[in-house]
Amino acid sequence: MSRRLPDSLVRVGALAAKEALHIRRDPRTLYLGLFLPLIMLLLFGFGVSFDIDHIPLAVADQDRTAESRALLQDFVAAHEFELKGALPDPDRATRIMAAHRATAVLVIPPGYAEALARGDTATVALLLDASDPHSAQQSLARADVMAQVATARVAAASGLLAGGGDGLPLSARTWTRFNPAGRSALYLVPGVTAYVLALVAVLLTSLAVAREWERGSMEQLFATPVGRLEIVVGKLLPYLAMGVVQVLLVMTAGAWVFGLPFRGSLWLLSLASVLFMLGMLGQGLLISVIARNQMVATQASMLSAMLPSMLLSGFMFPIENMPGILQFISHIVPARYYIAILRGVLLKGNGLAELHTELLLLGIFAVVMVAVSTARFKRKLA
Amino acid sequence: MTAIPSPTSSEPDAAVQVRGLVRSFGAVRAVAGLDLALYPGEIYGLVGPDGAGKTTTIRTIAGLLDPDAGTVRVLGLAPDDPRVRESVGLMPQRYSLYGDLSVGENLRFFRRLFCLPRDVAEQRIARLLALTRLAPFIDRRADDLSGGMYKKLALACALLHQPRVLLLDEPTNGVDPVSRRELWTLLGEFVGQGMAVLVSTPTMDEAERCHRVGLLHAGRLIAEGEPSRLVRELDSPVFLVRGGDRDRVQAVVEQAPEVLAASPAGARLKVVLQPGGTDRLAERLAPHGATLVPTRPDFEDLFLARLAAGGTA
Repeated sequence: MSRRLPDSLVRVGALAAKEALHIRRDPRTLYLGLFLPLIMLLLFGFGVSFDIDHIPLAVADQDRTAESRALLQDFVAAHEFELKGALPDPDRATRIMAAHRATAVLVIPPGYAEALARGDTATVALLLDASDPHSAQQSLARADVMAQVATARVAAASGLLAGGGDGLPLSARTWTRFNPAGRSALYLVPGVTAYVLALVAVLLTSLAVAREWERGSMEQLFATPVGRLEIVVGKLLPYLAMGVVQVLLVMTAGAWVFGLPFRGSLWLLSLASVLFMLGMLGQGLLISVIARNQMVATQASMLSAMLPSMLLSGFMFPIENMPGILQFISHIVPARYYIAILRGVLLKGNGLAELHTELLLLGIFAVVMVAVSTARFKRKLA
Repeated sequence: MTAIPSPTSSEPDAAVQVRGLVRSFGAVRAVAGLDLALYPGEIYGLVGPDGAGKTTTIRTIAGLLDPDAGTVRVLGLAPDDPRVRESVGLMPQRYSLYGDLSVGENLRFFRRLFCLPRDVAEQRIARLLALTRLAPFIDRRADDLSGGMYKKLALACALLHQPRVLLLDEPTNGVDPVSRRELWTLLGEFVGQGMAVLVSTPTMDEAERCHRVGLLHAGRLIAEGEPSRLVRELDSPVFLVRGGDRDRVQAVVEQAPEVLAASPAGARLKVVLQPGGTDRLAERLAPHGATLVPTRPDFEDLFLARLAAGGTA
């Protein structure tokens, strides 16, 4: 080194290098930071699939006619429902569902064929096990489609459809954009990215700073010329770098394993990622400044970052379907905006025009968190 | 290194000047009106039992705590002035280095925090490692060092930037006698070069190694001066109790109001008495066949006497 760096940079560099040494000495941090994202991606990409088929179906056919059997055939033909058995009596439906032998029961009442023959509206009942509301919702949607198929078939058979499609009482068509196959993996990768970043950034930072308090090294550190801001920056830099590696890792793996597209701008995604991470690092710092204790820091990180990023961000459950109070809370969960940006950039090719609000909110969160935590971080022991 | 302005005119050469220091934690008054001056080239021993306020005093001087009342000046400046930190070394009582970093990594970390030029600092590191005989352990993690070696490393880290003021909070706590002597020898060497050293200790034998001591009790100085002079000026007579049944003697001594302090001395009991209390205790002990033999007071007797007097005052 021929020229001397400014003192401040030397000190920040010393702190960052020391933090990197800690990470190297305790590889668990590294595992958590690098392998966890990949494991979660594979787990969510392959294991946790929201695509439902082979819904176990039981049938209580009280009509016992050719028409009723044809209706059942419509339901099971596409393998979306799988016939698990027939019930002599619809009253058994609850018990069958409680025993997990079926999550849907189709009840065809007596007189179904007669009603059809008369040209009346024939009614059948579909009982759904809604203990898993997400599955129930999907089953219902599938059943609707099946009912339409059946209606069309019946109508065609009775000659109503002779003049073309006009006579059909109901004709719904869905047209899925951006993720035409409706694959969960594409939908989940952005969520996994946000979740993992939130986890690692908040947890690792809060632990790293709380450890200095707990071990007493903060006392020694405060007795040196190192400044408050230098400690903050030196502490956060290594974890910011780790976050960048994580984003790259998850995106690459997502593209490679699940064919995740990249339709938007790289710089927009990078900017959003850095803003999101700064907010999370600031949050981790704030936790550790208040807690000064690794145990409390861990729990506070779980509650304030990991849970909201998974549950209130739209990662797994659509925000529109949440109760009002949770929807309200989700507005202060930065993962919500980051996931929206990731989905927008990756799947829809959105740009700044569509995503500027989310980007702005991420920026505000980052500035507030870093400012508040730095202000609370005093160079005093008590 | 940044220039330090000349000290204030009233105390021409005080490196540390503390006036009327008060600091409480909740309802506990850790320091209750402390005055103290520390001069270059001296070792000042802050002596007192646990909870007397030693650590709070040192942390306040190091700028790690703000006083509730009173003033602290270090080299004429406020203790949390960034210029002061370049000239102050602190060795906290608690383990405060990085246990997962090696001896060398800890030293180099502090070298960079103080922005010391590499060539100068590496020479100093080599010298400190030689003085502390830590050189063979340069790659050992701090957590794997013995208590004595750890303290020597902490001292080396605190000395690396050649501070003008060195604050040591119970530096020999948990250190074996050999390492303890080495630490003191090391200190003596640096003090000879004009360093001002403030050292806190609960043990009396260490206090006798200081140029001056201050006896701290309940956040207040109850005596101050050269250890030998303080002992000389002790007006409380000190005796060994000879003869008699040990348990009975002890019972009598514990109940006698003129006894300020009693401590075991070998198989016997050593007592510090109120001035003029000698005859009364002798009368009490006579029925038990025990007599009082005068003995030379040491620093511990002084401390116990002052503590007893300070506690009642």
